[in-house]
Amino acid sequence: MLELQRNVIFGQFIDTGSWIHRMDARIKLTITFVLTVASFLIDSFVGFALIFPLLVLIHLIARVPLGYVLRGSRLFLGFLAFILFFQVLFYPGEAPESSYLWRWGFLSISTVGLYTAGILGLRVIFLYYVTTMLMLTTSLVDLTNGLELIFRPLQKLRVPVNELVLVFVIAIKFVPIFVGEVERLARAQTARGVPFDEGGALTRARRIGRLLVPIFISGFARADLLTTAMNTRSYRGGRRRTKFRRLHATISDWLILLLVIAWVLLAWQLPDRLGA
Amino acid sequence: MTDQIDYAAAPPIIELRNFRYTYLEGTPRASEAIRDVSFSIRRGERVGIVGPTQSGKSTVVDSFAHLLRLKPGQVFHDGEDVATPGYDRGALRRRVGIVFQQPDSQLVEDVVGADVAFGPTAAGLSVEETRWRVEESLDALGLPYPKYRLRYIHALSGGQRRRVAIAGVLAMHTPVLVLDEPMAGLDPRGRRELMELLIRLQKDRDLTLIVCSASVSDASLLCDRFIVLDAGKVVVDGPVREVLREAGRLAELDITLPEPVLCARELRKLFPDLPTAVLTEDELEAEVLKRLEVV
Repeated sequence: MLELQRNVIFGQFIDTGSWIHRMDARIKLTITFVLTVASFLIDSFVGFALIFPLLVLIHLIARVPLGYVLRGSRLFLGFLAFILFFQVLFYPGEAPESSYLWRWGFLSISTVGLYTAGILGLRVIFLYYVTTMLMLTTSLVDLTNGLELIFRPLQKLRVPVNELVLVFVIAIKFVPIFVGEVERLARAQTARGVPFDEGGALTRARRIGRLLVPIFISGFARADLLTTAMNTRSYRGGRRRTKFRRLHATISDWLILLLVIAWVLLAWQLPDRLGA
Repeated sequence: MTDQIDYAAAPPIIELRNFRYTYLEGTPRASEAIRDVSFSIRRGERVGIVGPTQSGKSTVVDSFAHLLRLKPGQVFHDGEDVATPGYDRGALRRRVGIVFQQPDSQLVEDVVGADVAFGPTAAGLSVEETRWRVEESLDALGLPYPKYRLRYIHALSGGQRRRVAIAGVLAMHTPVLVLDEPMAGLDPRGRRELMELLIRLQKDRDLTLIVCSASVSDASLLCDRFIVLDAGKVVVDGPVREVLREAGRLAELDITLPEPVLCARELRKLFPDLPTAVLTEDELEAEVLKRLEVV
């Protein structure tokens, strides 16, 4: 029977108590930012091959089971493959005549198209992996605190930093809740004779449509409830709010950040130098 | 009460054998819900599955209609293993009707009439038969068919939505009816009416009735037998009165006891031999009077 939570891990936090889990959230966020930038800078297979060991290292230290992450990314990877397939077929750019492997009207498969799609795929997977690892290793409290501290200077420009961070964090937190909700609904509807666990991919997808209205209704109800609960507890964001947990960046945290930056620079610049 | 002798030879309608279940098994978020549960329920029985929250009641209920990732050899319906490949799950779900804790989750259509008709239509019944069943089920739950047929479900109150959910399951005429916390969110009158309806239906249709609850009071008037669960294991299994005799043990598990049983437990300070297995105030009164006469 449907156990959707296996297939969607976005927004979940798995506490293995590893060294990465205990790192300062601000440093982790900065590293995520650096790696995000890196995913746009790196534009060769060699570059991604150079950055790959860093991901392996992160994964080994974080001790989050690989099988769990892979299985939890199945839906995402399937979707990505679907998009890349069309990216190759409809490759719009100019390609030298010799690179076409197959052509039919405006559809084509060219080595240039394959190469671009490959890089794009790696880029998206890289981004997805980095953000997923951030979520898996950072509790929501740490994430909120970290984001608030990083964007604090913006408060001087009257940007409502606390409110924005809160909305962002709640949005992430709602993903696993929604997944659980979809699962519960699907189970209850299966009991009534909508067989979610049978049929082909298309029929299954069509059945998911039945869940949309109840999901939206429960989503709004939940958001309403949360707002009321926060109001009754007199929640107010802002500078006067004190923190129970304070973040502390140690020297090793900073060293790790430097190491990551150096690694990214290497993966970005080295392939060009080698090629030249 | 139902005559159970006729069915004694037949295999139990529902049987769990050393049932274990872990949600998200093999992932870091795995949680063990059922450790080891075995029991069998015969046709026509009225069983209450009681236990505190997190005791595994809802998981057991889900297993009856194969709504989990079941392994073979654990859950049987009419003597057949429901987890064998190729087992007709659709047919199983047409025989086991479940009313879930949150009624909203099992409402599939927007309009009351269409929702109640969903099960019968999916089962391939004729239009006339479906219409008749919808009318019968809605009327039975105090939602008159002409008035409620075209009402928009999400605009109904919580109690009314629960009734629609129950009507939707009743319309399927399943031989097994399972209700998970049916009394939650109903006012005292609604509870009484639902209780009377269930007792009537059980007799008329010879239903196998299974009621899940954290409160013994709701289930004690509806059931003949209790299966008490705690932390994914069966603690006690037996006739209601026998189970209530162990009132102290139930109270330890944070199970809400019926009012007369609570009174009896208090009165034991005066009459140490007073039985706790009293279902109604009248029975309690009789027992107390008996002892007063002796004095």
